[in-house]
Amino acid sequence: MFNKIESLTLLIPLLSLAATIVTALLGKRWLKEKSHWPILVALILAFLASLQLMRLVNIESENAGPGGFSQVVRPWQWAVIDDAMGSGKNERNLVLDIALRADPLTSIMLSMVTFVASLVVVYASGYMHGDKSYWRFFTYVGLFVFSMTMLVSGSNFLLLFFGWEAVGVCSYLLIGFWFEKPEAAAAGKKAFLVNRIGDFGFALGIFLIWTTYGSLDYDTVFNSPIVGGTIGTAIALLLFVGACGKSAQFPLHVWLPDAMEGPTPVSALIHAATMVTAGVYMVTRCTPLFAVSEIAQVVVACVGTFTALLAGLTALTQHDLKRVMAYSTVSQLGYMFMGLGCGTLAGITGGMFHLFTHAFFKALLFLAAGSVMHAMHHVIDMRRFSGLRHIMPWTFKTFWFGALALAGVFPFAGFWSKDTILGAVHDKFAHGAPGNYQHVYQWVYYVGVFTAFLTAFYTFRALFLTFYGPLKTPAEAHHPHESPRSMTVPLIILAICAVSVGAYCEMTHSFHHYLWQTPSLTKGAIGEYGAALLHDHKGLPFHMDVATMSTIVALAGIGLAAFMYLGKKDEAEQVAELTSTKKGLFLYQLSLNKFYFDEIYNALLVWPLRLLASLSYFVDRYVIDALVNFCGFVPRAGGALLRSLQTGMVQFYALAMVLGMLVLFGSLRLTAIFGN
Amino acid sequence: MNPLVVSILLPLFGVGLIALLADGSRVVARSVALAVSLVTLYWVVKTVLMHDQPSVNDPWLTTGVFDVRFNLGLDGLSLWMFALSGLLSVTAILVSWEAIEERGPLFYSLLLVLEAGMLGVFAARDIILFYVFFEFTLIPLFFLIGIWGSEQRRYAAVKFFLFTLAGSVLTFIGLMAIVFLNGRNHPGEPLTFDVIEITKGIAAHPLDAKHQFWIFLALFAGFAIKVPLFPLHTWLPLAHVQAPTAGSVLLAGILLKIGTYGFLRFSLPMLPDAAVTCMPWVLWLSAAGIIYGALTALAQSDVKRLIAYSSVSHMGYCMLGIFAFNRPAMQGGLLQMINHGLATGGLFATFGMIYERYHTREIKDLSGLAKRIPMLSVMMLLFTFSSIGLPGMNGFAGEFLILLGMFQRGYAESPPVMQFQWLTITVLALFGVVLGAWYMLWLYQRVFFGPLKEPAAHGDAAHGPATHAAPHAAVAHAAHGHDAHGHDSHAHDDHAHDAHGHAEEVLPNPLGIVDLKWREFFALAPLLVFVFWIGLKPQTFLAPMQPDINAVTDVVQTAYARHVWPLPATETAARPAADGVVVNRLIVPAVIESKEEVARVR
Repeated sequence: MFNKIESLTLLIPLLSLAATIVTALLGKRWLKEKSHWPILVALILAFLASLQLMRLVNIESENAGPGGFSQVVRPWQWAVIDDAMGSGKNERNLVLDIALRADPLTSIMLSMVTFVASLVVVYASGYMHGDKSYWRFFTYVGLFVFSMTMLVSGSNFLLLFFGWEAVGVCSYLLIGFWFEKPEAAAAGKKAFLVNRIGDFGFALGIFLIWTTYGSLDYDTVFNSPIVGGTIGTAIALLLFVGACGKSAQFPLHVWLPDAMEGPTPVSALIHAATMVTAGVYMVTRCTPLFAVSEIAQVVVACVGTFTALLAGLTALTQHDLKRVMAYSTVSQLGYMFMGLGCGTLAGITGGMFHLFTHAFFKALLFLAAGSVMHAMHHVIDMRRFSGLRHIMPWTFKTFWFGALALAGVFPFAGFWSKDTILGAVHDKFAHGAPGNYQHVYQWVYYVGVFTAFLTAFYTFRALFLTFYGPLKTPAEAHHPHESPRSMTVPLIILAICAVSVGAYCEMTHSFHHYLWQTPSLTKGAIGEYGAALLHDHKGLPFHMDVATMSTIVALAGIGLAAFMYLGKKDEAEQVAELTSTKKGLFLYQLSLNKFYFDEIYNALLVWPLRLLASLSYFVDRYVIDALVNFCGFVPRAGGALLRSLQTGMVQFYALAMVLGMLVLFGSLRLTAIFGN
Repeated sequence: MNPLVVSILLPLFGVGLIALLADGSRVVARSVALAVSLVTLYWVVKTVLMHDQPSVNDPWLTTGVFDVRFNLGLDGLSLWMFALSGLLSVTAILVSWEAIEERGPLFYSLLLVLEAGMLGVFAARDIILFYVFFEFTLIPLFFLIGIWGSEQRRYAAVKFFLFTLAGSVLTFIGLMAIVFLNGRNHPGEPLTFDVIEITKGIAAHPLDAKHQFWIFLALFAGFAIKVPLFPLHTWLPLAHVQAPTAGSVLLAGILLKIGTYGFLRFSLPMLPDAAVTCMPWVLWLSAAGIIYGALTALAQSDVKRLIAYSSVSHMGYCMLGIFAFNRPAMQGGLLQMINHGLATGGLFATFGMIYERYHTREIKDLSGLAKRIPMLSVMMLLFTFSSIGLPGMNGFAGEFLILLGMFQRGYAESPPVMQFQWLTITVLALFGVVLGAWYMLWLYQRVFFGPLKEPAAHGDAAHGPATHAAPHAAVAHAAHGHDAHGHDSHAHDDHAHDAHGHAEEVLPNPLGIVDLKWREFFALAPLLVFVFWIGLKPQTFLAPMQPDINAVTDVVQTAYARHVWPLPATETAARPAADGVVVNRLIVPAVIESKEEVARVR
């Protein structure tokens, strides 16, 4: 019925769906503390299936022509509306299929998602051990993986939107996993609502795609002549609003740090490695739509850069280890958009490459932070512990690898991907490349390099504060210890990836060449390298100057962190010194309070809307309903008036009759006189 | 016997059975009612699944001049609402099982009468018969609210009754005008009241535009109140809050749809020109209702009132879809009628079960219920998700098609002067989706998340009608005992891995609250099946309705083309644009040309 590729494409989401259903039905009563098994088995199988899919797609891509390779399987039709635009020519049928695709981009995402998810599940089996709702946790995780795999394998905008909102719901459920904590419940709702605002733009973008291209299917849309101009820009920017929501870009970035209320494995899986990269995936997928609009590209690049900087600055002063990581995620996502915003093949590859490497080292850092949290009895404030290298050697070592990768030090994973992005941005203005916005990209480049410095600094600040210095543990941690093996083994595996993935992909060019077989990329990514690059087996040129620059900057950041936090003074003194001037204090407060975005949004959006809500309820009761009651009152008042005449006194009635007769006859007389 | 007739008569037969058997016993009455409604449901399903739709057409009040007939039949417009009436009636009986303690036989008899009325109103094909059933639904609900409702039940019942009746009298006058005006085109023949005949007759000889307008307004009075369209909605929150659970379920699930059904059945196909004239007004009122209902819902402190205002908002989407006059939107609007019935019916039913346990509707009296009643919380969460239009569930299918259609109407199918206002309406409606998520999730957060808080036990467990359910704000152990019980939650939050001791923890349960019972499960589960079915494959439900709804669409679309915007059939020839990119002729709507944007289209 289905060929191999099609079966695998269907199998991967179905595995996690099946595991979810099994865990949901059997978890509470029977599986209990074994609840992670169904989902773990399913994920490992799904990972193997993804690898197999990747291999098959690779073979097919080799044989495919320059158009790249993709295969779509359509299990059923969701909705079909004939002649939906009513032109009477049956040309604009609205056909919405449940359609899953296999192509290089999808299979990369699938492998990454199932790999990280498997490790996170192993980790979580240790981390969540003993939780009352152990089964519920794994049910949600299974549901998440199902949604995420649907998101990346959907072959039309409807399924993309489906996965988009479904991962949002899983995120909502998992952030609010410990729902008894009011902050967790509030954070879940906030994440969902901010994402809904993004989806608002996304939905408009989808509608515009429908009216413009008469289809929502990727292949149909991307193979049509792409419309540029105002409409093309509008489509690209509306889609990007959706990406901003999901990938926590300014101005919709405020939900991600709060999302850290969820259990740490969730933060690692959803809020670092997979779900938040959906926006990057979407923009990459829609490359042809972005390629026609230079303005949209510049906006993507600028928003990404600004977010990277903003989040980097905020991360400098956070005390909460997980929040440092959260802001770092926001910042790194900004990097990815910076690359995508170049609109060149190099930039897009860089963005996807960074997505790929980031998944490993950021998941590693989060899981390591979770390990610390586990040992410190859920204290995560870095002011309350230090010197943990002595008691948590494995966590410590793996954290080092993650930190080096995040800081972008040669030869760790982050170095290669960040370098690809910066190189792509550099090319936009340096080598006489065509384009109108060279000066903008110049600024993007400088800010990007500066952010690399910030990244190195805050990462190592966290490392030094947590693991170096005298051993100090909070009182809650009765007996701090290294985490169980179920937690350290995933850390070690991820650490190995953080070291090797970047270099491997860069040396063999395998990632780039594989990615470039994605149909929408071959079609959309028009750039300085052009199609020629696609088929001679060279990678992107390595920018020695950019690489040197970013290495120096990263080392400088690490050095400064070492100078500040490995010295004799502790952080409090350092901060006191820095904030002694008014300006310093102001800047410090600004960073510490996340640039007051929550407060600003509350004042500008939330409270006005709630005020409006109260106002409309007031209007409802005292204006509209009052009018209605008045209408009801008129007949009643009329009745009351008439009723008062019903006195029951015969004399009164007689008098009234006489008077009435007189009036009647009188009026008749008068008509008779004046009528003639 | 004809299955349609059987389905409608069975509930009435059930009333007779209750009268014979119950003898004042609510246990017998509810068992009979359940059995009868299940058998009815069987016949309803059988009818709906029949390949050749059955119909009846017998003389009824045929007196030479007037040809009023007992004329029943289903088509794409009414099929699913007919089915939903059968389904939700079972749910309504199941949710009343223990909640109704006084005058059981009367209650279940009225429910069955209401069921017969609902089934009849959607099956009727004769205008007089339709109107009879239309009023038939009114009276049982009046008594259901007035006798078994909460504190202000009389006021609510009277307001509901008068408001709806006032509108429906005008509707009746309007319908009669249509009948007589149509009759003038067929002199010498007996006056037909057959809806299909009249629709055909009017298609051949359209009514005069001026007549159309006034008749449209008359019909509008009744149907818009029934929907309810902003600002004619104030009876609804009151009626919902005061009604017993079964009443709320059926009111939200079925009775409101009679209004939208009326528009689809009468106003649009019979008065297309007036519909086009009034389209901007109706669309603006719908958009206003969406936003206004959502905002007002945001300000509520009473769960049922919040859901009621959410109904005002969601019915705005149905109206928006119906009055966008194109295929995606109108099909979406019809689908959304079912969706709203399932989602809001489910919400009212689930909350009714919670109300039965705690006897309070105040949000502030409840918190953290997910800990006490996890399964009921899951049910509530699923209906909440359905209500906020989550993809994969039914609400999304309807809203997506409606908004897509409305966008299409504004962007590609209207003259430039109207584009802006149509698109503004689309954006407002889309913003309503964001607000919808806000008030529903906020409700959920406040009632089900956070530390557990339950109202104090309220006296005798066996109590009379729900009237003395006045919430005792003194909260048992949550306000004072936060430390004691909060301890569990903190221990749990902060020491997840150390919670061995708490794994088997038993919550003290002074009120003896139990989680979802099997009876309640069977009341809700069928709704959920359809929630997911419609979400995952709406085509199953769209396909049977398409021929008939498309016929309506064609009528109004033609009128729209006549009055407002000729279909751009000839103007869209392929043309090379400025820099040589061929603009697909499907792509750029001709409108752009007139907006002088074509220069900017590269």
